[in-house]
Amino acid sequence: MVETSSKSLQQLRSEARSARRENLRRSLYRFRSNTLSMIGLAILLFIIFIAFAAPFVVPFPEDAGGATHFLDKLLPPSSEHPFGTDKVGRDIFSRVLMGTGLALQVGVTIIVLATTIGVTIGAVAAYFGGAVDDLLMRITDIFLTVPALVLAIAISAALGKGIINAMIGISLVWWPGFARLTRSLVLSLREEAFVEAAYGIGASHMRILFRHILPNAVSPIIIKMTTDFGFAVLTAAALGFIGIGAQPPTPEWGAMIEDGRHYFPEEWWVATFPGMAIWLLVFSWNLLGDGLRDVLDPRARR
Amino acid sequence: MTLRLYLARRVLMLAPLLLGLSLLTFTISRLVPGDPVGLAAGPQASVEIREALRVQFGLDQPLPIQYLNYIRGVLQGDWGRSLYTRRDVIEALGVFFPATLELTLAAVILATALGVPAGVISAMYRNRIPDHIARVISLFFVSFPAFWLAMIMQTVLGRHAGLVPIGRRFPVIMTPPPQVTGLYLVDSLLALDFAAFSIALNHILVPALVLSFGALASITRITRASMIEILERDFVRSARAIGIPERVVIGKYVLRNAFIATLTVISLNFGWLMAGAILIETIFDWPGIGLYAVHASLSLDFQPIMGITIVYGVLFSLVNILTDVAYGILDPRIRYG
Repeated sequence: MVETSSKSLQQLRSEARSARRENLRRSLYRFRSNTLSMIGLAILLFIIFIAFAAPFVVPFPEDAGGATHFLDKLLPPSSEHPFGTDKVGRDIFSRVLMGTGLALQVGVTIIVLATTIGVTIGAVAAYFGGAVDDLLMRITDIFLTVPALVLAIAISAALGKGIINAMIGISLVWWPGFARLTRSLVLSLREEAFVEAAYGIGASHMRILFRHILPNAVSPIIIKMTTDFGFAVLTAAALGFIGIGAQPPTPEWGAMIEDGRHYFPEEWWVATFPGMAIWLLVFSWNLLGDGLRDVLDPRARR
Repeated sequence: MTLRLYLARRVLMLAPLLLGLSLLTFTISRLVPGDPVGLAAGPQASVEIREALRVQFGLDQPLPIQYLNYIRGVLQGDWGRSLYTRRDVIEALGVFFPATLELTLAAVILATALGVPAGVISAMYRNRIPDHIARVISLFFVSFPAFWLAMIMQTVLGRHAGLVPIGRRFPVIMTPPPQVTGLYLVDSLLALDFAAFSIALNHILVPALVLSFGALASITRITRASMIEILERDFVRSARAIGIPERVVIGKYVLRNAFIATLTVISLNFGWLMAGAILIETIFDWPGIGLYAVHASLSLDFQPIMGITIVYGVLFSLVNILTDVAYGILDPRIRYG
């Protein structure tokens, strides 16, 4: 008896697994047949490759820091300096490429931090309901009363200028969107029969929430993470541009644009290339996110 | 529930939110490491002068008292003074706020005027070439760092082509239209001063256009999605079957039904664009609260920042309430409750 039941359980498991695999295969097929998101993915992989390769391939790696070559200052693009040089003679091509890894790190950090905070708060609020829900959602509402950028500027300025504080500031204002989304997902999943079943066999609240409910809420959260990534990068660059985020000589693209702004348009290259780099990174994420939305949320695109 | 009762309740519910917001910004402002008063007084200031400044700004009181004093002041119309310019915050906000409101409104209108037709076309030619083109174009523009694009367009259209002014709301040497709303476009029309109107329009066009790009993709996307959903309803087939022209079916029946979802996204975008205006104002030297906010944050001048956040909070919440009211006008089936 014990043997047959364990066998059928195994059978059930393998059936569930093959069904899941089938789903994944279909999703992958839909994703692959979406030309735009494949283009986005290709650009993004290329950017990630550059981020890793930059320290080894750029002509002047020391220019990513505070190196100065005043004799070569503000040179227009040439074969030696494809993107020209800045006000202290640093090679902008090297700086833009060396800044790629930083931009990716900034985006990943903000999104991961915001997701962690937001998903936890949203899930706990929806699962426990009542006073917990009320309290957590009122806090969320307060953050949502003002546009994120305004609070991000205030928090980052208060913490002190610098890229780390800018990332903390942006993450601290970015989570409410994730909290709202997760809360609405968990609210409906909480009523499902499998939750009742898990409760019936004595699973703990934490186990039900994190092992049974949240895995079923992953797709919309991933979509939001992808579509938010580009905007997180833009926001961090904006703080760098205002002068609150990354400080010179950090090769952060927003701060480089602010630097080049004073030489625009005569020495146009100083500000132009970092801006194009930001655009390419954000554009690739947006293409990717748009396609991912179609794949993971079938209602979104018909 | 009547509309008036509904409005009263929504406005009342604003109070605790704004109180929470002020507590949040107050906490942030006291997180500042270092000494804003010392910075404001300058390196040569003696200990006595710093202490005097501290007393003058009430910074010698315990934190809870400081907060209560601040709230009492806000309610009485005294929003504190800037540590640097010594200017009253409420007075500065009164001067700068209309500029930001005008810029944001213009951008929202432009984004709607560009995004909704793009969404309609996408839905009508779903998964065909025009749909793909609209999608790529909106993703293309939304991916630009707004401040960078603003700088490029300012130079190309303003400096080189000379088509538009390179910054500000109005020429410095000219008197702006007599103030009624503070929005130059509206005020100049009210004064029937069409020359001033065209000058103001010329100034606002490029900043508003660049700002609007940030909202283009989401407005196009939601219009497309809700149009497609409505297009599949039975009443659309019936309308077509009885021979109502396609133009009327789309414009009058489908778009009106689809617009409710679009309206939600437009009002969300209003908030984002208001924040985005901070960057655009920096480039175009647009004398709004964004520029004020940047200067204040860079000098850790928190009295203005707290006031600015409250203004943003009030405006954003009012837009949300207005949106809810508009739902009911667009769709009489929606009841306020």
